Amino acid sequence: MSQNELTGGCQCGAVRFRAESLGRPSICHCRMCQKAFGSFFGPLVTGHGVVWTRGQPKLFRSSNLANRGFCADCGTPLTYQADGHELELAIGALDHPELAAPTIQVNPADRLPYFEGLANLPMQQRSAEREPFYAAVVSYQHPDHDTTRSGDSA
Amino acid sequence: MSESFSGGCQCGAVRFRVEGPVNHASICNCRMCQKAFGNLMAPFASFKAPVEWTRGRPTLFRSSQAVQRGFCNKCGTPLTYQVGEGNPALAIGAFDRVNDIVPTIEFARENRHPVLDNLDGLIPEDLGSTDEERNMLAILRSFQHPDRDTDNWQPQG
Repeated sequence: MSQNELTGGCQCGAVRFRAESLGRPSICHCRMCQKAFGSFFGPLVTGHGVVWTRGQPKLFRSSNLANRGFCADCGTPLTYQADGHELELAIGALDHPELAAPTIQVNPADRLPYFEGLANLPMQQRSAEREPFYAAVVSYQHPDHDTTRSGDSA
Repeated sequence: MSESFSGGCQCGAVRFRVEGPVNHASICNCRMCQKAFGNLMAPFASFKAPVEWTRGRPTLFRSSQAVQRGFCNKCGTPLTYQVGEGNPALAIGAFDRVNDIVPTIEFARENRHPVLDNLDGLIPEDLGSTDEERNMLAILRSFQHPDRDTDNWQPQG
C-alpha cells in the first residue's frame, strides 16, 4: 500500500489530512459515538503521524476526557482523541475507506437492536422516475484524492 | 394520536421534534453519504409531518446542486438531508429513542464498504476491560445532551 493513499478529509474539502500509517480499525457502539456520528456506531481507525494538509478540524469537547473534531464548513465528523492518546480518524473520511476494514466492535453493550440485520436489508432499486434526478446531480464533494490550492501545506 | 419523535445533536445546541409515523427509514452507502457522515454509510428517517426545530437550527452545506445537508456547527453532528426546499430527512443516530427508528431498506448497495457484509462478525470488546479504561470510565463526565428534551440547556465542551 502506498503511503500516498492514506489521505482524507471532509465532504467540502476545507479540511484535509494525511497519515503515515493506520492502526487498529474499529466500530464503537457507545451512545456518544452514535450521537456524534448521527449514526448506529462510530467507525474509527488510529492514525499514526497525522498531518493536516489543508485547514484544521473544529473541536468539540464531548466529555472531560476527549475531543471530537469535525469540519466547521460542512460538518463531516473527522476525529476522536482521548486525552493523552493517539488520534483516531473517522473511517468514512478516508479517501479510501476500504483500507480500514474494522476488525473489532467496541462497547457491544450499546449495540442497537437492529444492528445484526443491517447487512440484510432489502435493496432499493433505482426507479426510472428517479433517473432524471441522479442524471442531473452535480456533486460539490471534494474528490477522493489530494488537490492543490494556494496556501496548502505540503 | 400518532407518536412524536425528538432528537438533536451531541452538544444540544440543535434540537428537533417530528410527529410520526416514520415514512421511510434507510441506510445509504453512496460515497457522498459515507463522506458526509465520516462513516461506512448514512442512516436517514423521513416523515410526512414537518420537522420542527425546537432549539437552534442546523447549518446547511450544499453537497450538490440538488441537495443540502444540515449539521450542528458547534459539535458537528450530521443531522439532515434535504432535496430542494422539501421536508428534511433526519439522521437516525440523532434521535433520542434511536432504538425505535428501524431501517428497512438499503440504497447504493454497489458502493457498500466491504466490512458491512460482516459487521456482526466483528470481535466484540467490552469497554472497561483494562485498568486504564476502568479508571477513565470512573471519572468520565459526558457533555452530551441527554436523550430527551430539556427546558434549559447550555451546550458545554
